[in-house]
Amino acid sequence: MVMASEDEVSLLVIVVDVNPIWWGQQANREPQFTLSKCLDAVMVMGNSHLVMTRTNKLAIIASHCQESHFLYPCKLWKSGDGHGDDNASTSGDGKYELLSVANDFIAEEIKNLMSRTEVKGNQTDTLLAGSLAKALCYIHRVAKELEAGQEIKSRILVVKAAEDCALQYMNFMNVIFAAQKQSILIDACVLDSDSGLLQQACDITGGLYLKIPQKIALAQYLLWVFLPDSDQRSQLVLPPPVHVDYRAACFCHRNLIEIGYVCSVCLSIFCNFSPICTTCETAFKIPLPQVVKSKKKKLKPST
Amino acid sequence: MDEEPERAKRWEGGYERTWEILKEDESGSLKATVEEILFQAKRKRVFESHGQVRLGMMRHLYVVIDTSRTMEDQDLKPNRLTSTLKLVEYFVEEYFDQNPISQVGIITTKNKRAEKLTDLAGNPKKHIDALKKAKDSTCGGEPSLYNSLSLAMQTLKHMPGHSSREVLIIFSSLTTCDPANIYELVKTLKALKIRVSVIGLSAEVRVCTVLTRETGGSYHVILDESHFRELLMFHVKPPPATSSSECSLIRMGFPQHTIASLSDQDAKPSFSQAHLDSTGGGPGLSMGGYFCPQCQAKYTELPVECKVCGLTLVSAPHLARSFHHLFPLEAFQESPLLLHHRERFCEACQGELKDKSVFTCLSCCSVFCVECDLFIHDTLHCCPSCIHSRSAP
Repeated sequence: MVMASEDEVSLLVIVVDVNPIWWGQQANREPQFTLSKCLDAVMVMGNSHLVMTRTNKLAIIASHCQESHFLYPCKLWKSGDGHGDDNASTSGDGKYELLSVANDFIAEEIKNLMSRTEVKGNQTDTLLAGSLAKALCYIHRVAKELEAGQEIKSRILVVKAAEDCALQYMNFMNVIFAAQKQSILIDACVLDSDSGLLQQACDITGGLYLKIPQKIALAQYLLWVFLPDSDQRSQLVLPPPVHVDYRAACFCHRNLIEIGYVCSVCLSIFCNFSPICTTCETAFKIPLPQVVKSKKKKLKPST
Repeated sequence: MDEEPERAKRWEGGYERTWEILKEDESGSLKATVEEILFQAKRKRVFESHGQVRLGMMRHLYVVIDTSRTMEDQDLKPNRLTSTLKLVEYFVEEYFDQNPISQVGIITTKNKRAEKLTDLAGNPKKHIDALKKAKDSTCGGEPSLYNSLSLAMQTLKHMPGHSSREVLIIFSSLTTCDPANIYELVKTLKALKIRVSVIGLSAEVRVCTVLTRETGGSYHVILDESHFRELLMFHVKPPPATSSSECSLIRMGFPQHTIASLSDQDAKPSFSQAHLDSTGGGPGLSMGGYFCPQCQAKYTELPVECKVCGLTLVSAPHLARSFHHLFPLEAFQESPLLLHHRERFCEACQGELKDKSVFTCLSCCSVFCVECDLFIHDTLHCCPSCIHSRSAP
């Protein structure tokens, strides 16, 4: 096992889907697995990551319907400062103080977030692209603030509960390409329904995708599958990669097609040839068959 | 002689008093000025949003690299040739990142001749390997603009009308040796709608000025290596399409990636088309791959043009990479920090706002710091707060 040197910083950002409508329905379906149990598992994962190496860093973002909120770290703490005020409880059981402060803070923040947000509408889909974009900006900032000689390796772990939102395709793809350019892995731990967008994200960035068979064992799956970082993953036997469907969906019927027609101006995909593009309204040049000119017979000069 | 636009040469202008920019404050330190210069350097990128201009998304670009005697000059470290090849490698990677369905070819010219280093292809690996091998080649003789342009023209004139045809010449010599009248060639290039741009490494050469002006390209001469890199990056973005380029529906295939394992009964190992052509490399047999939907020929990577049936094969993310050119993110509004008392933290990275000015997104009114603004516009292409609302484009 390679010992990580003091110069390598490993940053893990956990994005948790806290859509209250889905979790409310979940509480009715399976009362033994609620949002607080899920967050307990996430806190165990976060603590384990911080304990692995002294230089590891952690951030947790909650993805809510109308905003994404950083549960940890708090923006009011300055680096190197004592954590918060003196009322911060030192836990009586001798736990490492960094972990106890982190756990208390996360619990406090999620309670505030859930109580202060007024839920409008009843959509059960999550707006993950915004939270991922904020995670990328945070990673970018931390990478800039490193001391000289330190290298950083970052990854994002997404714990997804509700379904995909189809409107987010373009923003999601932008975020995925930005993550791939910065060499940031995106791992996905899916609780309920399979997510095509996250499958593509994991495939393009090189992360792991796993749909959990039993939700109450979330902590076990997080620790066994998602805790090792990318160097150690080559030595482990991990769940096999999922087959990702990269076929495009046509803009007219939303069917998946294997051969299609692409507009050269706006890159919209159609399944049938049509003389006008519906997205950008350009008229296309229709390739007509070539008209063959009839050859004039040369009149032989009469001798 | 045709009329040329009057442009004042640099020596005709007055003296520049560069020392006047530096101003000391009360304690005699230059810190504020230095910070200002650094801040301006970060913001130097001009956000030209083309707006509603049609862009040429499918591009066929030839890069002509001058490998004549002047490339052994050591004003770029270690010498001009090595520095140019390194930058062109970086350019090829960025080019395929921003234009995944486009193609690039490389031509070199020396000893009054031109030869193709790589053919027009959509796969960056081949070009980068060829560029790495070219570092060992010798430079000599004089370049030939005519020969390199006619070599590029031979391939570009057969390209379909909806793609943009471009040539980028990296020209270091001050002379060119042509077998025929180059002005005739310029007329032919203009008729074929090929856009030629030049990056000069030595000085401005009149024939390049005429060439780029007639064909609609740009001509710049570098100041130093970082300026060279900036000029190259300028050519990565898709150019506005000329009014004469045709719009058509291009037939493309979207193959599925089959990952077959040995336990599958129907899986048979097969050669990919790329391996049948290449001479080197390891064993060519592999189980999975991309199968062309029309003729079932196998390929290991996308995007590629099927050699058997001619269908262009891409995957949906390749087209998605170009979407941000079509829906560019608007520039944020810059305002001084003093006006913002309420927000102390950047919305995106949660860092404290310490810079001189902050940037506000016009649609969602969130405040961002300088670093996040650059990151959002260069890499992310979407505002993190806007995309959190349900009314997505």
